[in-house]
Amino acid sequence: MEDLPAQIPAPLAARLQALTFADRAVAWLRIDDSLALVDVGGNLEAYGLGALRLGAPAVEQVPLLEGLLPPVEQPYLVPSVEVAKGRVADLHFWQDEPDGGGATWVALVEVTTERDMARRLQQKAYDMTLLQEREAALNRQLETANAALLATQRELEASRDELARWNRTLEERVAAQVAELERVNRLKRFLAPSIAELLVSSGDDSILRRHRRDIAVLFCDLRGFTAFSESAEPEEVSELLHDYHATLVPLVQSFEGTLDRFVGDGLMVFFNDPMPCPDPAERAVRLAVAMREAVAALAAAWRKRGHQVGFGIGVAQGFATLGQIGFEGRFDYSAIGTVVNTAARLCDAAADGQILVTSRVAIAVGDLAELADMGALAIKGLSRPLAVSNVLALKSAEHQVVWLNRQTR
Amino acid sequence: MTATVQKKICMVGGFSVGKTSLVKRYVESVFSETYLTTVGVKIDKKTVTMGDKAVHLILWDLAGEDDMSSLRLSYMRGSAGYVLVADGTRPATLETALALRKRVEADYGPLPFALLINKNDLSDQWAVSDDDIEGLRRDGWWVRSSSARTGEGVEDAFTDLASRVVR
Repeated sequence: MEDLPAQIPAPLAARLQALTFADRAVAWLRIDDSLALVDVGGNLEAYGLGALRLGAPAVEQVPLLEGLLPPVEQPYLVPSVEVAKGRVADLHFWQDEPDGGGATWVALVEVTTERDMARRLQQKAYDMTLLQEREAALNRQLETANAALLATQRELEASRDELARWNRTLEERVAAQVAELERVNRLKRFLAPSIAELLVSSGDDSILRRHRRDIAVLFCDLRGFTAFSESAEPEEVSELLHDYHATLVPLVQSFEGTLDRFVGDGLMVFFNDPMPCPDPAERAVRLAVAMREAVAALAAAWRKRGHQVGFGIGVAQGFATLGQIGFEGRFDYSAIGTVVNTAARLCDAAADGQILVTSRVAIAVGDLAELADMGALAIKGLSRPLAVSNVLALKSAEHQVVWLNRQTR
Repeated sequence: MTATVQKKICMVGGFSVGKTSLVKRYVESVFSETYLTTVGVKIDKKTVTMGDKAVHLILWDLAGEDDMSSLRLSYMRGSAGYVLVADGTRPATLETALALRKRVEADYGPLPFALLINKNDLSDQWAVSDDDIEGLRRDGWWVRSSSARTGEGVEDAFTDLASRVVR
């Protein structure tokens, strides 16, 4: 190889040299042992090195040589260095002595064109790689988002199931409450509302089954009502009945009586069933006295309007059969027995302002009520006459007060 | 008279992590959105004052490491220290930076270096955890997240590295 230049004709060698360095800036530096510049040449201006001073330190004047002198090996190449803006050179280092020593040569051989070509290729490759990396990153984000979406969907499904369960529970509760409400309404038809609700809340409706019990029965109705209703306008009759019921029904409830029925001006109430009480006769008589006083006040007002209406009550005590009677869709809670008939007959027999009671009731309330012996009355449906008393008044105002207080609780 | 010192500092890291942009931000205080890959090496100079010394930092901005060509370590010859750069939006470039540090240390010994995890302005794409950064700090590394776009962390990294290489 070393002999090749000698073998080729001088004109060819000159042409090859011209081609090699055509459009390339070539420059060189020669640096001595003390790292001072001793010789420079070539197109130094192309690399911004036009003002070099011989004899001065090379590294201070050519900063890119920092750390590279003296070369630790030779020849040594630092390829593709952008020395000045837009000027790229390969830096070749070697020394005068083949095994090191002597002056150091640094040749700058321009490779700007090669660098630009390599950069275009590299740029395309990097752009493509970056796009692929970005696509992969986006795919990962998409997968993460999908996973999150799936998780949310699963949570949503779980919530939906939970909601369906809640709905079912709610429907069951509503149905139970509706049933309870229906029971309350059914019981309210013949029990004081507070008692009806108490029975419902206890959940025990066995009381509706047929049974026998010792009860006190109160019957009351108006005297002269039939004559009044024949002569009066229906609106007047209706208004009077409304006032009458509105006065008596709250009284029945306040004495915790069971309102069996009211038909027109007639009312039937009994005590000791379904809510047991220790003193059914006493309660019945106290209610009767309270009713009498209340209706007396109403009758006074009616009289002012020209209506002559009186009020009578009958009270009896004895065993009766109680429970639901009737048929599907039309049940009533009622009492059946002689005691019911007796109370009704006593009511029929009572004159205005009288409260007629059987002897058993009279004995039961002897301490609290003033009674007048009415002798023996023949009662329809009974084989023998019945000893009857009329309740004149309660003996002590205290008894009244007790009940008035109870009414206002 | 102020003493002058000249030190060669290399920028090392994977491709497209922002080495050239960091140098441009540091030397010229500008940022360009256009990505232009580096082939070979590009040399810049920045002078800083450290106490009573003027320190000329000769900055060698090396072509990035990629799958096709590994870093030409011969460029590191004579380097006083280096800035290791990773892209915080591409976790793989942190692995590349850690591998490069091992190679540099194997060839040139334990040179001073600073690790910049760059592009912290792209917060919605950030993929390097704070725990990873803290872990490196616990190992005694000088680590900062940086942005060539905003300049955050850039001056600090070069100043700190300069103070260590002139010590």
